[in-house]
Amino acid sequence: MKYKDYYAALGVERTAKPADIKAAYRKLARKYHPDVSKETGAEEKFKEVAEAYETLKDPEKRAAYDELGRHAPGDEFRPPPGWRQSPGEPSFSFDDVDLADLFAGISGRTRGGRRAPNAPMPGQDFEAAVRLTFDQAYKGTEIELDMAVAEPDENGFLRRVPRKIRVRVPKGVTDGQKLRVPGKGGKGANGGRDGDLYLDIEVQSHPLYRAEGLDLYMDLPLAPWEAVLGASVDVPTPAGRVTLKVPPGTHAGQKLRLAGRGLSRADGSSGHLYAVAQIAVPTVIDDRQRALFAQLKEASAFDPRAHMVD
Amino acid sequence: MVKIESSAALFLDESGAMSIAQLVEQSGLSEAELQVLVDCGALEPRDEAAGSWRFSSRCIVTARTARRLRDDFALDDVHAVAIVLRFMQRIEALERQLRDLEARGRH
Repeated sequence: MKYKDYYAALGVERTAKPADIKAAYRKLARKYHPDVSKETGAEEKFKEVAEAYETLKDPEKRAAYDELGRHAPGDEFRPPPGWRQSPGEPSFSFDDVDLADLFAGISGRTRGGRRAPNAPMPGQDFEAAVRLTFDQAYKGTEIELDMAVAEPDENGFLRRVPRKIRVRVPKGVTDGQKLRVPGKGGKGANGGRDGDLYLDIEVQSHPLYRAEGLDLYMDLPLAPWEAVLGASVDVPTPAGRVTLKVPPGTHAGQKLRLAGRGLSRADGSSGHLYAVAQIAVPTVIDDRQRALFAQLKEASAFDPRAHMVD
Repeated sequence: MVKIESSAALFLDESGAMSIAQLVEQSGLSEAELQVLVDCGALEPRDEAAGSWRFSSRCIVTARTARRLRDDFALDDVHAVAIVLRFMQRIEALERQLRDLEARGRH
């Protein structure tokens, strides 16, 4: 079992008073709580802080933790002989026991058990962050999650057991969305329901498509003559290339809609793909082209700044 | 190699309709606490006027966030949770608007 320094995690002395521990926790929670913090790595940091506080805020658990002695963080150690939660057999392995789980049973037992021993206990809900490519989000995908799940062994000791969970992610998920996988959290006890698995979806940005809900947007560069005369242009869509009719007189910023070519969901809802026109100009032109542009300039009375005249 | 059965992930969106009892079970909040969140406008039942409330599945996300805030910040008063939630919802709406504007055009 790896040692974790809970006092260091909260930045307090080992002699800190309960009020100081609480104050330190609150300060760190405000900084790192994943619901309020945008700092990178905040979630991991908050987990460490919350785990430390969970043990140190409870006098019973704190005393039990202190009795483990001092070790360097990350050091392999085992509780001293006769320590409260030890099963007594010297051969007992602590290899896959997590320090956090060691204290889980302590105060529930000593506080006189507000819960009847055989009362149904719902399983814990799990959360997992899932990063998908744009393509996976568009088509739907199947992912495999490797979780370390705390499950009681035959001695009632919680051990971290590796568990693979395979999940079908439906098509049409968007960045920041949450999904629920019913019953795939921790196992319920005494007839309590199993917990659920919640997925936090992150969709990687795509070089061409930008999502707004189920709608997609992409930039469509046009040559000046294509914008003026209109054109049929070959454009990519997530479902394959299509021909898009650009109407004559298309201006920059105009949105050309490709109906039903956005994201779609199994329930039949779907978005559109919008091509946002941009006017691209050639930067290198030869003499003939320059002469033609000059001719066009002579022939045209078009004033793009007419609205700027006082 | 053991074949692992795959499970379907469900959207938490405007669809679905669950009772307040189901929301209590899935969020870890009490019915009284959910009541306060509804009264403060942080949580919106589908048809507030109806005798028994029904909630869209999106409400699970809100209610679970409320539970986390209550527990992790030791907020004893659920009214305080409701205020924090309203601010978070405003920030999320603004972030969404910003993302949508970015998606529409980078000009």
